[in-house]
Amino acid sequence: MDRSGLFRTVVAAFLAVGLIGAGAASAADTPKKGGLLRVGNLGEPPALDAHWTTASITETLTNHIYEGLYSLDEANRPIPMLAESHTVSRDGLTYTFKLRQGIKFHNGKEMTSEDVVASLTRWGKQSVYGRILFAKVADFRAVDPYTVEMKLKERVGIVLISLAVPNNFGAIYPKEIAERFPPQTKITEYIGTGPFKLAEWKPDQYIRMVRFDDYKSRNEKASGYGGGKTAYVDEIRWIPVPDVATRVAQVETGELDFADDLNLDAYERLKGTPNARPIIGTPYYWLVAVLNKKEGLMTNQKLRQAWQAAIDVEPIMKNVAGGKPEFYRMDSSLAFAEVPAWHTTITGLPWNEHNKDKARRLLREAGYTGEPIRFMTTQEYKWMYDFALLTKQQLEDVGFTIDLQVMDWSTLVQRRNNSKAYDAFTTGIGNFFDPTHHVYLTCIWPGWTCDEDILKLQDELAREIDPKKRFALWVRQTRQFYEKVPVIRYGDLFGLRAARTTVKGFNEKTERIRFYNVWLDK
Amino acid sequence: MTEAAVDGAVAGSAEAVSPLTEALRSTWLRRISRNRNVVTGALILLVLVLAALFADVISTHSPTRLFPANRLKPPSAEHYLGTDEFGRDVYSLVVHGSQISLLVGATTMLLTSLGGIVTGLLAGYYRRLDLILMRFMDGLMAFPAILLAIALMAARGPGVWNVIFALSVVYLPRTAMLIRSTVLTIRELDYVQAARALGRGDPAIAFRHILPNCLAPLLVQASFIFAYAILAEAILGFLGVGVPPYVPSWGNVIASGKNVIREAFWVSLFPGLALTLAGLSLNLLGDGLRDTLDPRLRVQ
Amino acid sequence: MTAYLIRRVLALLPVMLVVLTIVFLLIHLIPGDPVSVMLGPDATLAQIQATRQSLGLDRPLYEQLFKFYGRVLRGDLGRSYFLDRPVTVALLERAEPTLVLTACALLVAVMIGVPSGIIAAAYRGSVWDRALMLGALLGVCIPGFWLSLNFIYLFAVRLGWLPAAGYTSFLVEPAAALRYMVLPAVSLGFNQSALIARISRSCMLEVLQQDYIRTARAKGLSQGATICGHAFRNALVPVITVIGITMAILIGGAVVTEIVFNIPGLGRLIVSAIMRRDYPVVQGVVLVTAAAYVLINLTVDLLYAFIDPRIRYD
Repeated sequence: MDRSGLFRTVVAAFLAVGLIGAGAASAADTPKKGGLLRVGNLGEPPALDAHWTTASITETLTNHIYEGLYSLDEANRPIPMLAESHTVSRDGLTYTFKLRQGIKFHNGKEMTSEDVVASLTRWGKQSVYGRILFAKVADFRAVDPYTVEMKLKERVGIVLISLAVPNNFGAIYPKEIAERFPPQTKITEYIGTGPFKLAEWKPDQYIRMVRFDDYKSRNEKASGYGGGKTAYVDEIRWIPVPDVATRVAQVETGELDFADDLNLDAYERLKGTPNARPIIGTPYYWLVAVLNKKEGLMTNQKLRQAWQAAIDVEPIMKNVAGGKPEFYRMDSSLAFAEVPAWHTTITGLPWNEHNKDKARRLLREAGYTGEPIRFMTTQEYKWMYDFALLTKQQLEDVGFTIDLQVMDWSTLVQRRNNSKAYDAFTTGIGNFFDPTHHVYLTCIWPGWTCDEDILKLQDELAREIDPKKRFALWVRQTRQFYEKVPVIRYGDLFGLRAARTTVKGFNEKTERIRFYNVWLDK
Repeated sequence: MTEAAVDGAVAGSAEAVSPLTEALRSTWLRRISRNRNVVTGALILLVLVLAALFADVISTHSPTRLFPANRLKPPSAEHYLGTDEFGRDVYSLVVHGSQISLLVGATTMLLTSLGGIVTGLLAGYYRRLDLILMRFMDGLMAFPAILLAIALMAARGPGVWNVIFALSVVYLPRTAMLIRSTVLTIRELDYVQAARALGRGDPAIAFRHILPNCLAPLLVQASFIFAYAILAEAILGFLGVGVPPYVPSWGNVIASGKNVIREAFWVSLFPGLALTLAGLSLNLLGDGLRDTLDPRLRVQ
Repeated sequence: MTAYLIRRVLALLPVMLVVLTIVFLLIHLIPGDPVSVMLGPDATLAQIQATRQSLGLDRPLYEQLFKFYGRVLRGDLGRSYFLDRPVTVALLERAEPTLVLTACALLVAVMIGVPSGIIAAAYRGSVWDRALMLGALLGVCIPGFWLSLNFIYLFAVRLGWLPAAGYTSFLVEPAAALRYMVLPAVSLGFNQSALIARISRSCMLEVLQQDYIRTARAKGLSQGATICGHAFRNALVPVITVIGITMAILIGGAVVTEIVFNIPGLGRLIVSAIMRRDYPVVQGVVLVTAAAYVLINLTVDLLYAFIDPRIRYD
């Protein structure tokens, strides 16, 4: 396993170099400043407070305004952003971070260690990833204006990656803001250090972000979410366009320069549109049916295994992907191939077996007699409904009885917290950058994976700091996953975006869209 | 659009409030059967009802079985109206969709009529109840109709009976007010006063004298409510809050075709046409009934 | 007249109380939780509990209801959970697009509907009458949302004449605003025009059968003069009613049009608020649209008096 891991890393490195090379060669036209970039997205963010919510739309928007101490490179490894460097004490318990100097907030104030301590302390009380990390932190303080120190209760291997995750991330706010708004209250003053600053937010109409002229870029080349950032466009205008067909139409007619989250059926048409082009967003989600292991039918492991054995993943994925092979990937690894450090290639796992006889046998062993299984899904995310409907048919063909319950998303996210209300629900698993961040392997997330063996491995993964040993543990966890089946893993789904041909320099390789380093050729 | 539908009910009935007098009753059936609108509307409706009753016989494929490999095939000899994004046969979906549409339309019509009669009679008879009931009805009417339907659907979750319930609540006040105003007019008429003087009880008067006279405006109103319920069901489906999306209904098929309207126009085109046709038949019927039953329009 | 007016306005109060109570109970009894939506899919249960508490959603329902009455009486509609601003501000921001759309659609509806109705009535039974009434019938029967989609496809994507969707204020860029408004106003107005056309026609017919019209004709007045001078004015009352009703309905209800054409108005605001359970916004929008609805109805009633002197209020 280790050797193949190394091999993959090397290949990924070559690929990355190749891509950067290719990018440089094709970008014969030089970047230029100016212009208004209009981006259509699917809705309104619940907040522009990165600490406060895990909603992906908030992640996308706030990453243009704020920055954290770390960020992720092309291979989704942590690289410094507002931090200059860090040192770890011999015993692994003290992390000392040097901050970059001369970094200005949008209000003109210089960023110092006080701001970092106040912000990350708030983040550590509210954010999913912050709470995981700060559960292990004994003390976090400013040493001098450009140095902060984090003392840990025990050795953990997740300090840098936790500070680097882009979702629900450790954004640095000015101290005054971080302290004025308690963790449960979302901030309503939006001041960060990012290349764009918030100019105006008119809900359901637009969010305007304008270039921050005092932005101090890192000197490194842009890589992944990190490295050098330049705001070329004068303004990004994020326009919520909830109807997907309208989003596509507006890119075609030029009312939008960029649109995210499109229906995959528009791919062929976008390819034929002279002034726009489709962009495949990798990865998007791996599709998952989360099973309720606290109460009800799905507490029976045999029944969970029967579901896993029954499903034929490829036709489901193909249908969800609009029949287009460009938009799905068959993979059993719990981490995406885009995270080479944690991607596994284990053969012989009971994934995608589509073995009806085995499923029927497991159903018998489970003592299942056709009790309806309550399976919740929503049409607000069309792909969820699609794979749920196809799953229902496949499962009923081997003898399951599925009570498919279609509800709106806000009902689903409430009901899934109630262990009495359901047996399974659909969602998507996005990019996680560390094994300890996979929420479906924890006891505190809907579905309740409280299996002692799974949690024990999670705990070991959190403590271990040697990357090789951690990878070995992760391989064990993956095998264990397919035996205990806490959730059903389907395939990887990719997203469709569209850009006008005038949009240049867009990094197609990141999971979520970013518009620094993007310029308009109009 | 929904709102046009909703409101047509009011406007349509506004012209039909006047009571049908005894003398007319003997001839109204004959007159109705001679009205071209009524005949055309009834014939189209009959075709739809037959399609609904014999859906399993005349459809060529299962409307619920998914065939992922056949997705979005254009119309052909195998699939008369093409296939949808799950490879289901659109023709069979449309045929089966008539069941849901007619069920929702007819049941909503019945429930609003029954509920409207009861509420309207009570309000027309008992002034104290009238005050409370009518404030409540005013309150319901003050809601934008489609929003009330959406909120009720959000409260009760998807399902055919929930759609019927939501639409019945939305349309009930209009029927209730129609009946109430008819009752108020008729109870002052001489023969009703005479019956009362003879010592007939309220229920007897209501059934013997008042209800028969409400029948004509009610019939007109009901045929419009039928049409609007079918349209509203489709709109709820379009917004994703109607009957469960895997149930073949016209609204659901249009909704699923909405996102692929440029790649596969047939998915939304044909259920849209079926919906238009159903609306047409019921509106013709309603118009014809009104023309025949409303004495004010029956000139020349 | 004044006494009548006061009585009518007072009568609105219980109606509004009913509306307030229904909307509050309905939205709060709906399953679904604004907090789970706001905190995103990976939020933990402890996080959700803490935020519910900070919003006061853990209090008993009757307590929340009475607090709500109290706030409304003070003119305070509360603060949106999602939009980070008072509901009144959010409403004001969305009012313009809805009002503009309503006005344009109403204009289209009246401009198509009233002349069609008059012509159809004047030439009753002719080919014109049949064609116009068939058009009006189709206008009622064609599902508006389906028509909008076909419009977008034809005029925006295929022909490229008009933008597919969106909104610009008339105060900022009048020309662009007009281009954005054409398709939504026409597809919404067309549906409404059907109703107006049919009412106009039947009212005109009724008036045309009155004795004084026959007299006018007998006196040798031309068809045009009869129709415009005598008949139309008297057919106006019911036509105004239906226009008023149309307007009341458009204000609250151009929901589907706003969604399909991505117009950031009140309709879209409330649908998204229902979907994400933004209770204060749902309550606020319903309150305002319901108030607009009853006020327009009242205005229509009062307008009668000015148009038709036979109607008197005491």
